[in-house]
Amino acid sequence: MKKLTLAAAALCVALGGTVARAQDAGALLDLLVKKRLISDQEAEEVRSELVKESASTAAGKWKLSAPITELELYGDVRLRYEYRGGRTPSEHTDNPNDWYERERERYRLRVGLRGTLADDWFFGIRLETSNSSRSTNVTFGADSPGPFSKGDDGIFVGQAYFGYTGFPDFKFTGGRMPQPLITTSMLWDDDINPEGLAEQWKHTFTFDLGGGGGEAVQSYSKEGYSKDGKAVVAHAAEPFKLKLDVFANFAQYVYDDTNPENPIGPRPTTTGNNTGNNQLVPQTDAFMMAWQIGARLTFPSSFYVQLAPTLYNYTGNGDSFNIHFVGGNPALSNTASLATNQTGINSLLVFDLPAEIGWKAWGLPMRIFGEFADNIEGHDRAHAAAELGGFDAHTGQHYAWMIGGALGQLKAKNDWEIRAWYQYAQQYALDPNLVDSDIFDDRVNQKGVAVKVGYMVADAISLNLTYAYSWRINGSLGTGGLGDIQVNPLDQYQIFQADMSVKF
Amino acid sequence: MKIKHVALSLALAATGIASAHADRLVIKGSDTLGAKLVPQLAEQFKAQHPGTTFDIAAEGSTTGIAAIIDGTAQIGMSSRRAKTSEVGAAASKGKHMKPTIVAFDGIGVIVNSANPIKGLTKKQVEQIFTGDVTDWSAVGGSGGKISVYTRNTSSGTYSDFKELAMKKRDYAGGSQKMAGNEQIAAEVGKNPNGVGYVGMAYLKAGGTKAMPIDGALPSTKSVQAHSYPYWRPTFYYTNGDPSGLAKDFVDFTVGSGGQRIVAQVGFVPIK
Repeated sequence: MKKLTLAAAALCVALGGTVARAQDAGALLDLLVKKRLISDQEAEEVRSELVKESASTAAGKWKLSAPITELELYGDVRLRYEYRGGRTPSEHTDNPNDWYERERERYRLRVGLRGTLADDWFFGIRLETSNSSRSTNVTFGADSPGPFSKGDDGIFVGQAYFGYTGFPDFKFTGGRMPQPLITTSMLWDDDINPEGLAEQWKHTFTFDLGGGGGEAVQSYSKEGYSKDGKAVVAHAAEPFKLKLDVFANFAQYVYDDTNPENPIGPRPTTTGNNTGNNQLVPQTDAFMMAWQIGARLTFPSSFYVQLAPTLYNYTGNGDSFNIHFVGGNPALSNTASLATNQTGINSLLVFDLPAEIGWKAWGLPMRIFGEFADNIEGHDRAHAAAELGGFDAHTGQHYAWMIGGALGQLKAKNDWEIRAWYQYAQQYALDPNLVDSDIFDDRVNQKGVAVKVGYMVADAISLNLTYAYSWRINGSLGTGGLGDIQVNPLDQYQIFQADMSVKF
Repeated sequence: MKIKHVALSLALAATGIASAHADRLVIKGSDTLGAKLVPQLAEQFKAQHPGTTFDIAAEGSTTGIAAIIDGTAQIGMSSRRAKTSEVGAAASKGKHMKPTIVAFDGIGVIVNSANPIKGLTKKQVEQIFTGDVTDWSAVGGSGGKISVYTRNTSSGTYSDFKELAMKKRDYAGGSQKMAGNEQIAAEVGKNPNGVGYVGMAYLKAGGTKAMPIDGALPSTKSVQAHSYPYWRPTFYYTNGDPSGLAKDFVDFTVGSGGQRIVAQVGFVPIK
């Protein structure tokens, strides 16, 4: 019986691997006891040995709190070389046709934990480098005091959220979260983690349109041949199925809340509107609401169509973004133009329609994507900018759109992807605080092209090259937004980035 | 001669000291084992081994395992298996948690004698103790808010029941924690809406009745065959193989004499 006990123990260890935990072997030991091959005491001794082995391993020492049902550690580290430059207009008052250029070597770190808890709750946290809302990059050599110091190498909380999925098809999230909406870089920089609440609903309908059935038949097609050259039986024809995902995503983001709402003493005033007049500083918080509904229709052979119309509206004046947007003035000096308000969120009611069509051809994923956006209150935004900036109102400048295509996808080793698009964003179309920080330098009133090429060196390592070129749309206006290039209006812009990333 | 006399005196004194230590057995841990069974075993053992004294403290299985780890007991009684973290903690202190099964037990669900319920399913047991169901009418009773009585968190029975009957879900928020089996039996016996769980040795407490679970009550046969859903082994834990007085007591407990007492008290013998 002792020999049998040892044999059972060896079997358990062999089946469970080096880190065989007693609870994994429990079912096997119970079965051996039930079949009277070993006694309860012998099973207990084996179990005890396995637990002792497990406790001595690194995995056995790891203790998770009881509510956690699943936990994932993930993240990435990226090295980047970047060149970006911008040119002043030829009619610039101080430095016409002058280039402002930056070359930087940068890195970023993102590391997170996300998981599920008992009773359908979930959570996530992610730490990131850089305190910018639209970047996680840190520039090598930009440290102070002294070389290699850690002045700008801080770690910040990028994400901290939890949510509930207990109701079928619904997901509720609160906190500082990954973007729950379907968006593109035209409207939202993908480094932004919005703060607030989100409610998501998605339901899948499957339509079986018949077809298929019948007996499998021998096939001499190329796909049907086995290695030894004999004909193989082809698979029976599959039924024609359509899958329709219908979804609705709503978000209530806290956009601006610089407390207090009611300070001691009289309300403060400001002349930050550049009119020289005192105005009371509004103290109501600003919220951004998103209302998105959409659908994705998937056909056999991986063909799909997706639409996600969305409306963004803002409530409240906010404490920091309440000055009306001007976006620069080509009649001013560069410094003065930059100093006009670039961040105001007045008169923004943006309708957005991202769309995508995808399919596979010769085994290669392909897709065409596009987007159209219109600031329904663009006229008011233009008038407010003109009044504050002292120039003519260009009320028609409230549209944005993009169109592009992609070949391939980056998932596993040796995968590659090419993506290219054309983007057009007028001065009063979008929220300049949210647009992508790289492609057109956080700016609006820009149009241009962007190309990205990626290659997976290994399953976790990717190389990416990005190039974008843009120029100003309306020569009578500035190029609103706070970018890295200290030029306004930005008449011409280009960026090149070479990235190497490891993802875990 | 003088040296021989001193040496003999010293040897006798050392033997006396060793005997004093060897005659005293410290046992800590499970209330399930320590409230009735182990004291009765100890009495019988003392009758056969005059001069032996026992120091028994029954404050929950967790305390028994902890006592082996920190060396404050020679035997740790436990109605649950030691956790990986406890085994790891023991190993870090150079201790090895050696389990010896001393009896089987079937955790029985008890309700007040006046409760008209005739039996419960495993699902209903889970629902009651997790708080999914809060009224007796939902499980075929005559109505009334269910009062759930459980053991406290240091109890092995608390952990075992959570694993065996509740799929490791948390106990209902309003459940009342009791120190031992007898306290649970007492409270359920007083409360017409009460429900709790106790070891087999406490199923006949006054004012209570045991519930068949999917038609099965815990019995010697069903527990030994491991067919009763809430069966469990109970243990003595020692630091490695027991030795000296501890070995003698362990051998007595698993031997025929001890197992007779096990059956008399209401547990299920290991053979």
